Formats: sequence, C-alpha cells, structure tokens
Amino acid sequence: MKLLLRSGTLQDRIVIFFVLLLMGVQLASFLFIRYAIEATAKNSLREELRVGARVFTRLLDQNSQQLQEGTSVLAYDYGFREAVATRDSSTILSALSNHAARVKASGMAVIGLDGMVIADTNATANSGRHYQHPELLARATLRERSSGVRIVAGKPYQVVVVPVLAPLPIAWVSMSFVIDDNAARDLQRLTNSEITFVHVAREQSELLATTLPMSRRADLARQAGVITARGGEGITVELAGEDYEVLSMPLDEARDLGLYAIIQRAGSDGLSPYLALQAALLFIAAISVAVTLAGAIRIARQITRPISRLAEAAQQIARGNYDVRVGELGQDEMGRLTRAFDSMAQGLAERDRMRDVLGKVASSEVVTQLLEGRIELGGTEVDATVLFTDLRDFTGLCESLTPQQSLLLLNEFLTTISQCVEEHGGVVDKYLGDGLMALFGAPITRPDDSHRAVEAALAIRTRVLELGPALAARGLPHPAVGVGLNTARLVAGNVGSPTRLNYTVLGDGVNLAFRLESLTKRYQVPIVAGERTREGTREGIVFRELDKVRVYGRSNPERIFEPLGRVGELSAAQMEQLARWHESLDYFRGRCWEAARVGFMHLADVRGYERLVAIYLDYIRELEADPPAEDWDASFTLSQK
Amino acid sequence: MIFVTVLALAGLPAGAASVDAVIKDASGVPLENAVVWAMPKGEPPKVKRDAAIEQFNKTFIPLVSVVQVGTAVRFPNKDEIRHHVYSFSPARIFEIKLYAGTAAAPVVFDKPGEVVLGCNIHDHMVAYLYVVESPWFAKAGKDGMARIEGLPPGEYEIHAWHFSQGAKPEARPVKLDAGDSKASAAFSVTTRVMPPRPTAK
Repeated sequence: MKLLLRSGTLQDRIVIFFVLLLMGVQLASFLFIRYAIEATAKNSLREELRVGARVFTRLLDQNSQQLQEGTSVLAYDYGFREAVATRDSSTILSALSNHAARVKASGMAVIGLDGMVIADTNATANSGRHYQHPELLARATLRERSSGVRIVAGKPYQVVVVPVLAPLPIAWVSMSFVIDDNAARDLQRLTNSEITFVHVAREQSELLATTLPMSRRADLARQAGVITARGGEGITVELAGEDYEVLSMPLDEARDLGLYAIIQRAGSDGLSPYLALQAALLFIAAISVAVTLAGAIRIARQITRPISRLAEAAQQIARGNYDVRVGELGQDEMGRLTRAFDSMAQGLAERDRMRDVLGKVASSEVVTQLLEGRIELGGTEVDATVLFTDLRDFTGLCESLTPQQSLLLLNEFLTTISQCVEEHGGVVDKYLGDGLMALFGAPITRPDDSHRAVEAALAIRTRVLELGPALAARGLPHPAVGVGLNTARLVAGNVGSPTRLNYTVLGDGVNLAFRLESLTKRYQVPIVAGERTREGTREGIVFRELDKVRVYGRSNPERIFEPLGRVGELSAAQMEQLARWHESLDYFRGRCWEAARVGFMHLADVRGYERLVAIYLDYIRELEADPPAEDWDASFTLSQK
Repeated sequence: MIFVTVLALAGLPAGAASVDAVIKDASGVPLENAVVWAMPKGEPPKVKRDAAIEQFNKTFIPLVSVVQVGTAVRFPNKDEIRHHVYSFSPARIFEIKLYAGTAAAPVVFDKPGEVVLGCNIHDHMVAYLYVVESPWFAKAGKDGMARIEGLPPGEYEIHAWHFSQGAKPEARPVKLDAGDSKASAAFSVTTRVMPPRPTAK
C-alpha cells in the first residue's frame, strides 16, 4: 500500500487510498459477518439437532410403546394363551410364528416365569435355556412390560417383553423387531437428520444401521467412540472432508451395552439459508466499491485538475508569459488559490510592463537601481565621461520628408547610436531632439570609462557611416553625425520631486561636452574629445590634436582631440601626415608662422585636413596682421552659444 | 369387599377343637384373604359342600375362595353383561364361554392347588380359588386372623397360603386333644411383588 501510495500521481494515490480503505473496511465487516453467520448457523444447526434428538427419542419411545402394546394385545389373545397353557413346545412355537407374522416382528419367544425359554422362533435350540435378556424380564415384572435395544447375532433389535396374563402372569412373551437401514430411513424422514445406530466396543465400533452415504460411514465408525463419549450435547466432526454436527444418545439405560444412536446433519445444511445473504453482501460491496471508485476519481480530479492547471500556468510564468490565467474554479479553497494565483500573475505582468516601460524611458541600469529602491533624491560626485551626439543638419534634411518619415529616420539613427553606447557599457541619459546624451561612469563607475566612451564614439562614427547605402537605397538622405566627449568630475543623482524624478549628471563637464560636440561642425570632424578623455584612454587609440579652445566662463584653455582609430587601422602615409600635422601645430604654437604655414600647406590637399589647414592658415594670417601678446597661449576662444 | 360365604357344617363331630391362625407378612402386616387349612395324618374325610364365585359389577366375588378337592363350584353372573370365565392354572384348566345368569354346569375342582380365574373380556377381573385336600380350612379377615373349627382330636399340620406369597410357608404341626381344646399357629409369609394389573374401565 505504501508503495502504491508513493507511486503515481496525486489523483491515483487519492483514488487508491480511498478504494483500498473501503475495501479493507468491507473485507473486515464481511469476515465479521461471515464469522457471525457461521457461528449462528452452527448454533442453530446444533439446536435443530437437539430438537431432532428429542423428536428421535420420542419416536423411539412411541415406537417401543406401540410395539409393547401390540405385543401385549397379542399376548392377551385367548388362543395364544391357551397354546401357552398347553406347555407344548411345538404348539407354542407354531403359535409364536403365526403371531410374529401378524405384527411383522422379526422374532418371538415365550419364556416361563422361571426365566427359561419355552419356545423361540429365532432359535429353537434356545428352548430350556435361560432367556438372554433377564433384565428385561425383571423390568417387565415391575412395570408390566419392558423394552430395550439389544444385539442378537450381530444385529440390533428392539426387544419387547410382556407377560402372558391369565389373568396373572403365566409366562413372558418376548418380541423382537430388527433395526436396519430401513428403520433408520423412517426415522430420518421424521427427524430431518441422518440417523445412525452404532455399537461402541472397546476394540472397534460398528455401525449397525445408518442413513449415511457409504463414503462417510468409515469416518463415522472411526470417530464413534469420541462422538458417543462427548457428543451428548452435540459436537462437530469431519466426515469424508465435510463438517457434520452430530449428537449421540444412548439407546438403553444399560449404557454398558454400548448401543447409541447418532444423529447427524451436514454443516452446509445450516449455512444454506445464509448463502443468499452472503451473495447480497458481496453484491452491495461490489456496488459500493464501484461508487467509491467513481466518486474518488471525481473528487481527486477536482483537486488535481486545478493543481495541474496551476502548475502549467506557473511554468508559463517562469517562461515569461505573464498573460496566462487559470480562470474561475468555483468558490472553494481551490477557487481562492486560483484567484490569488491569477492576481499574482497580473501583478507580475504589471511589474514586467513597468520594467519594460521604464527601460524604454530610462537606462536599464537606472531602472534596476530604481526598482531595487537604491536610488533616492540627492547626488554623488563621480568621475564620468559624457557623450553627446547630434545629427548634423537633420532639420534641413527633414524638410523633404513627412513628419512620419522624419521620426522613423530619426529613430533608426538613435537606435543605432544607442546600441553603440550600450554595447560599450554606456548609459543613454536622455534623448535631446535629434541627438542624445550618454554617460560612461554613472551610475556605475568603472576604471576604463573614458576608453569605452572613445570606443563607443568610434563605433558610432563607423556604424552611422555604414547606414548610408541602406538609406540611399530607400531614397532617404544620410545625415552626418557629430560626437562630443568630455571627462570630468560631475554630480550624479536624481533630479526632480519625490513623485517624479530623473537620474542625470550635472556640472561644467557636461556643458563642455555639449560644446565640444558643437565644435565638430567648426572643425568638420566627426568626433571631438576633451583633454581628460584622451588622458583616460588606454594605449592603442590614435588621437589628432585639433586645437586649444577657451570656453566661455572658464579661465583655462582646453586642448581638444579627435580619435582617429585604433593603432594599425591607419596606414603609414596617414601616420606620416599626422606626424607632420602635429609638427606644424608645434611650429604654430612656437610662433614660427612661416614654418607652420609650410607644414600646413603640405597637408592642404589631404583628405580630412582641408578644413583644419584652412582654419590654421586663417589663424596665421590674423596673427601676422596683429601679432599676439607675450602671454598668448595659442588658444581659440569659443563664443557663447 | 369381603364376603365370607364358605360354610362347612355337615358331617363334622360336634364339640370339636379349633385352631386359631394368624397370618402376617414379613413386616408384620396382617394378610387378609390368607387361606389356612389343617391336614390330618391320615386320609382326610370328604365333605360335600357348595361353593360359588359370583361375578358382580365386573368383579369376582369373593376374591379368594377355598374349597376341598372334588367340590363343584358355580359361577353365577349377576351382571347385565356376559362374562367369559377361564383358568389356565395347571390345577384346573377350564373356560366357561360367554354366558349370562348361571352357567349350565358347575366346575368340579379335583386337584389341589391354586387356580387363578380370569375373565377373557375383562382383563382386570381376577379371583383366586385354592383347592385343598382337607375339609378343615379357613380364610383370614382383615386382621389376618383365621379360625379352623370343628377339628376332631388328633395331630394336624396347619398350612397357609396367600396369593401374594413368594414361597409356601412351612406347615405348623398341632396336636388337639378331645374336648374344646384350642391350638394356634402363626405364619409369617414372605410375599412376592405382584405384577401390576389392569384396572377396571
């Protein structure tokens, strides 16, 4: 049972448990009822046997009475008395035979008052001998007549002794009636039981007459001793494999004669009335097991089906499908559970949607921090690199496009740029019209923030360039992108009110980055990076110094650079041109206007240097016309924008 | 009901002696209807006497009679119905088939001994007739006393009998002188168990 309960589904276990429980209970009650029935049947059988025994005794008694009466009547026959009075043996014998035949007796004898046999139809040789049952004579003397069962020549006889009265006794008449199987059968019909007459002797018991079938006789004979010794009130014995209730009665007061009658009934006789009851019980048991089975399956299903559905739904949720619903399942505990589950799923779905929405309006790092409750109003100082991008002349380009197309195009660019930022570990802080602002180092600071910002800027440059052919194929314009980079100590934090706030960075460095981005137009380069950004960049990136600018409101001029690419990406000629550029820049800053001009002029026709050379040739022209003061620091002052 | 009807008077010497007998059973209860008689040494004289046993109300009257050998006994039937008197006793086997009134001939009892009388159609009827050789006999009353009278002097053996006796009691010798001599004899009789008998219907 344990094994059964351990295996299989919950439904199987519930069903098996209830069915086994019911079957166990029914088996127990069935066995108990069967036991009670058998005990009752045995008792009632035994009681019937006792009644049968009383009937039997009464019958024997009546039989004996009748035989005595009959014998007595015969003995009163005048002719018979005359014959006896003659004392003539052969006359008497003849009369005896005649009279015995009248009552169908087996034998008849006349005995003198002295106890000597005068004549005997069964054995003429007995004449003159002592009568063999003197106790019957003695009893007849006292009671006028007597009767008993006696064995003569191996056969049982009912022997009746009555006096021949004339009118006082002049002799005794003894009549004997054989007890054979026929006699037993007569008694069987009246008592409704098997009847056996048995002679129990020390060595061997002998069945004298019986109604039992042959097959059971040997067993009965073998157990006759025990039965007659202990079966006065009835005992159970086995005869040829079948249980019998038996009861024994001595046939005569003289027990030492060993003559008994045994009445028997088969145990199955007593049980037969209960077989129908037993069948009915089995039928009811089968029905109730079937009903319980059906009921248990139904109830188990009611329990397990919602569980299965809940498990299925939970798996769906684990896979990310928050839209799954178990649905209404009634008002019971299961109903409550499923309702709770559904509202939980709904909650999860809302949270997920929230995270989704938040992720769209804010960077995932910020959202994560927000959701974890780590972000609060107020800021912290961080060293971070701020990156601004801008689509150059996007507004002008959009004039030929519908607003729908414009937005689509813008989103395409912003998506690409955002991907570049995120791929390099940056955070898009906000979108600003056709550009965006991104952070490297806030809210999470890493040691190579500047380097990753430069790499991201290079990737933006390359990827935006790559968009060109696809856009041209669709008949769309391809705007150029400008990127400004600056690294500075900034204040990062949540700005706004407790109900609505915005994570961002504040500080001069941010403004500078914005200004550097706008310088890309002046120098006609894709990327302009501040000095600290370049310093924070690891080896392997090649930078071109563009200029030294004085930003409005700041006293110190800022050197600005353009990252050109990784070392190795540039050809030897390009590296040589870069060297010549930096050499010329050094002449310029050393006020060697002529040497600088020669250097710049060498690069005037090189791609990417045209605008820079033009700017510096302008500088030189202006400085020659108006030589600078002693404290000239070779910087260019940015006007306020 | 006891009727003493046996009277023997004729032919006996006058002034003779008598014998008083008392008969009791072993426990001293007087035995009514016991019969006693005196046997002389020699041949007893024959005395002719009348005897009758009536049937009245389906009963033999008297129950017990005693007669001398050779006496003819009549069986007058005083009932409305007939009777069939019989005896299978060895002393005298006879029957008088169904008759009313007085039977044609009396029955002569010529052998001493006990004769038990019955009626073939009334099983309960019984009577005892005791036949003795002596003319001197008597029957005891309720007190068990019987007196044998008219005995001439001489030596006698006094005998007793009762229908319920188990064995015949021993005879008692008495010697009677001339004159009014008296003798007595006491008997203690061992009785036997009498078989149960049918009762009158």
